[in-house]
Amino acid sequence: MRWLREPLVQFLLIGAVLFVVFDLRGGAAGGGQRIVVTPGQVDAVAAGFRRTWNRPPNEQELKAQLDEYVREEIAVREAVALGLDRDDTVIRRRLRQKFEFAAEDAFEATPPTDAELQAHLDTYPDNFRTEARLSLRQVHLGPQRGHALQDDARQMLERLQAAGPDTDIRTLGDSRLLPASLENTALGEVARIFGDEFAGALLKAEPGRWVGPVRSGYGLHVVIVDGREGGQLPALADVRPLVERDFLAGRRQRALDAMYERLLARYPVVIERRSRATAAPASAAAAEPAR
Amino acid sequence: MRTHSLRRSKLAALPAGALAAAIAGVLALPTSASAQADAGAPDKAKLEKVHPSKPGYSPYAGRTFPTLPLFGDTHLHTSYSLDAGAFGARLTPKDAYRFARGEEITSNTGQPVKLSRPLDFLVVADHSDGMGFFPQLMGGDPEVLATPQGRKWYDQIKGGQGAEAAMDIIASFSGNKMPKGFPTPGTPAYRNAWQETIKAAEAYNEPGRFTAFIGYEWTAGGSSNLHRNVVFRGNGAQAGLVEPFTTLPPLGSGDPVDLWKWMAATEQKTGTEVLAIAHNGNVSNGLMFPVVETFGKKLDRDYVQTRARWEPLYEVTQTKGTGEAHPFLSPNDEFANFELWDKGNLDGTATKAKDMLEFEYARSALKNGLKLEEQLGTNPYKFGMIGSSDAHNGLAALEEDNFFGKTAPQEPSPERMTKAFIDNQKTGVKVMDWEVGASGYAAVWATENTREAIFDAMKRRETYATTGPRMAVRFFGGWDFTPADANNRMPAVIGYAKGVPMGGDLKSAPQGKSPTFLVAALKDAIGANLDRIQVVKGWVDKEGKTQERVYDVAVSGGRKIEADGRAKAPVGNTVDIENATWANSIGAPELITVWKDPQFDARQRAFYYARVIEIPTPRWTAYDAKRFGIKPLPGTTMVLQERAYTAPIWYTP
Repeated sequence: MRWLREPLVQFLLIGAVLFVVFDLRGGAAGGGQRIVVTPGQVDAVAAGFRRTWNRPPNEQELKAQLDEYVREEIAVREAVALGLDRDDTVIRRRLRQKFEFAAEDAFEATPPTDAELQAHLDTYPDNFRTEARLSLRQVHLGPQRGHALQDDARQMLERLQAAGPDTDIRTLGDSRLLPASLENTALGEVARIFGDEFAGALLKAEPGRWVGPVRSGYGLHVVIVDGREGGQLPALADVRPLVERDFLAGRRQRALDAMYERLLARYPVVIERRSRATAAPASAAAAEPAR
Repeated sequence: MRTHSLRRSKLAALPAGALAAAIAGVLALPTSASAQADAGAPDKAKLEKVHPSKPGYSPYAGRTFPTLPLFGDTHLHTSYSLDAGAFGARLTPKDAYRFARGEEITSNTGQPVKLSRPLDFLVVADHSDGMGFFPQLMGGDPEVLATPQGRKWYDQIKGGQGAEAAMDIIASFSGNKMPKGFPTPGTPAYRNAWQETIKAAEAYNEPGRFTAFIGYEWTAGGSSNLHRNVVFRGNGAQAGLVEPFTTLPPLGSGDPVDLWKWMAATEQKTGTEVLAIAHNGNVSNGLMFPVVETFGKKLDRDYVQTRARWEPLYEVTQTKGTGEAHPFLSPNDEFANFELWDKGNLDGTATKAKDMLEFEYARSALKNGLKLEEQLGTNPYKFGMIGSSDAHNGLAALEEDNFFGKTAPQEPSPERMTKAFIDNQKTGVKVMDWEVGASGYAAVWATENTREAIFDAMKRRETYATTGPRMAVRFFGGWDFTPADANNRMPAVIGYAKGVPMGGDLKSAPQGKSPTFLVAALKDAIGANLDRIQVVKGWVDKEGKTQERVYDVAVSGGRKIEADGRAKAPVGNTVDIENATWANSIGAPELITVWKDPQFDARQRAFYYARVIEIPTPRWTAYDAKRFGIKPLPGTTMVLQERAYTAPIWYTP
């Protein structure tokens, strides 16, 4: 009796039983059935009100809410009896969504194992590597110097190289808003302030010596890197929540794909296409992009 | 099971801050809020401390004020918003946070998309009415389909006219004509959507690196747009104690006064703070900033106090236009004509009359606020300014060369420059898709990148709006700034020591003194140079009439500022529209100056805010025309001058 174990068969059987029970209890017609609003449902309606207004409803308000609730119940029964829920894109989508929500809850209920997370960390180290950090000082020369900019920058470099790494630069340079020094700053932060080109150049610069001119969106800079720390791959224990979040985001998609793949195997699918000449124009689908 | 619980406890043992510190390090500034200096004469001891005779080497050691502006979006919709879903949005709050923090994701139309650099914070603000997936809204209750409207939308969506259905849904919602059966707080479907929203923010909030705020939009006012975004300072456990306030009766209300009541009750119940940010007065048809009455009631002390209490900020620029100033109200301001949406109300069901404008634009509201303060004792319109997206596709992508539109159908495609966004045959109100702006972001001077620090900076209004670029803008007011202060290499140190930052107050002018302002702007590291910095002053004159004046205070390229305080010569234009390029060969990478009000009267209330203007650059339409090889419609704006607006500094006698 292997076929009895098939979920689809079970589903149909349960459906058939329900159908019979339903029929015995008074048929499918919408009218004439009792609508019982239980104390629990009354509480839920009142709670809904309270959540919005932060106070309980008075008797009149509660009555209005309950009347709405009863109307809704009647409408739902009547609408289902009329078959308004069938062949309805919107309701189908909602069902799909609920189905996927339920499936996702199931995926999330199983916490990832340490091994899985370690493997994820090993596969995508770049997502978790701590950034390289730089300490630097810079003297800025702005584009207002016009044609002299390049020469001025070269002279500034020579001057600073001659003066040595410890020279005081607080009175040098054109900008009053760019920081003259950064201490132990993440590379991304350096890039945020000076741009990618500047940050990238400093990753390669020799520390402890004035270099340049380095270009940025603000002009040219003579720079000294005082310290540099490479990015490191942290241990799982230090970044576990991040790895877990990243892992779950990926697993959710993979699990959904796998689930559909599995389910698809149970459904022979036949797509009957129209010939090209009679096909409907495709341009009307603007609001329904394919994913 | 055993390993599971073990793992959980390990997780819990990880101090939240340790992680942030490991990642952000240097960004983690001291948490104590900056000491906002008194408005009066600077304390000598304080200055002594700032400029000790022998400074230590590190100029940064020991400073406690905000050093970097944080950029974010306080107004982003995802597929959980009713209209966004109808437009075809599929991205969820989680996707929105991932994108904002710099990850590459796939857009609603299947295109890969990534920001040029991460944002620092984001508020996913889905509509509170009918929050949840679009199918849930329309399909959750068959009763909806039994109504003619529900049936019509259903047929439209089925027939591939989702965008039309979405516009109609917005119009119906705005007209308070939603069908029965609209989901409301308290239902499981609604609660689920709110909990999912909270969960997403909790998962992506990383103190020190990226702040994911919990929030929602209260979309009231019918076609007249009295919308507010509500932002929580606290965490998910706190926000989860309430459900968003809606607008449709009987559970909700469309009157802001009721929203403020809800906010007060929420603070009591949750033990955390909330604030509300209004937006799009420009499509409120004269209702956003009332001065006489509202909802049939005369403005009273209660109204102005409550509004001032809950609404410290105003969203002045976004995709549906910029609402700082209007040429009709400010005929002498040649920069007022910027990304205007002034044809009608929110859904185009009513046209605009000129006499509405005064009650829609930020500058006139700031002016009328001074008058209301005289009459009622409190200024209800004492707000700082921010920009945000109001995008309905989960993508806070507002750079001109990387603009992913306001809605899913407006994601990049060859069609988006030629279609209509609103087209109301009856009123004749027509707004084209090309009129949608790639704007803007909120900039916040917070002491660190956490929910608490950013929220607190918003409350003290230390914010500015940008139309997309990330320029750094400083604005300090005090009585003793001198021109030499503009030559200092640490202007912020001087600024905080001798004055108050943007959003602050100056009171009772010392005898014979006029207010002075230290104002500075640094261009976006990867953006265009700056054209000029202006100071906009508004005041109430002797006759009790409001006045305004725009001053150029720092201009690039050696142009002259005339005796009337204006530099008439434009900065020039390097934009090659056809190739969508420009050059930083004009303008300046940074501007800084000290400006003194030349026409100060110590008896008159006034406000001052800075406006920073970039050199002309290609608008998103120019990038579209180039990349898709299409011809723009006649009249399409192809070049713009991006800008920033700071929160004002107010003077009260």
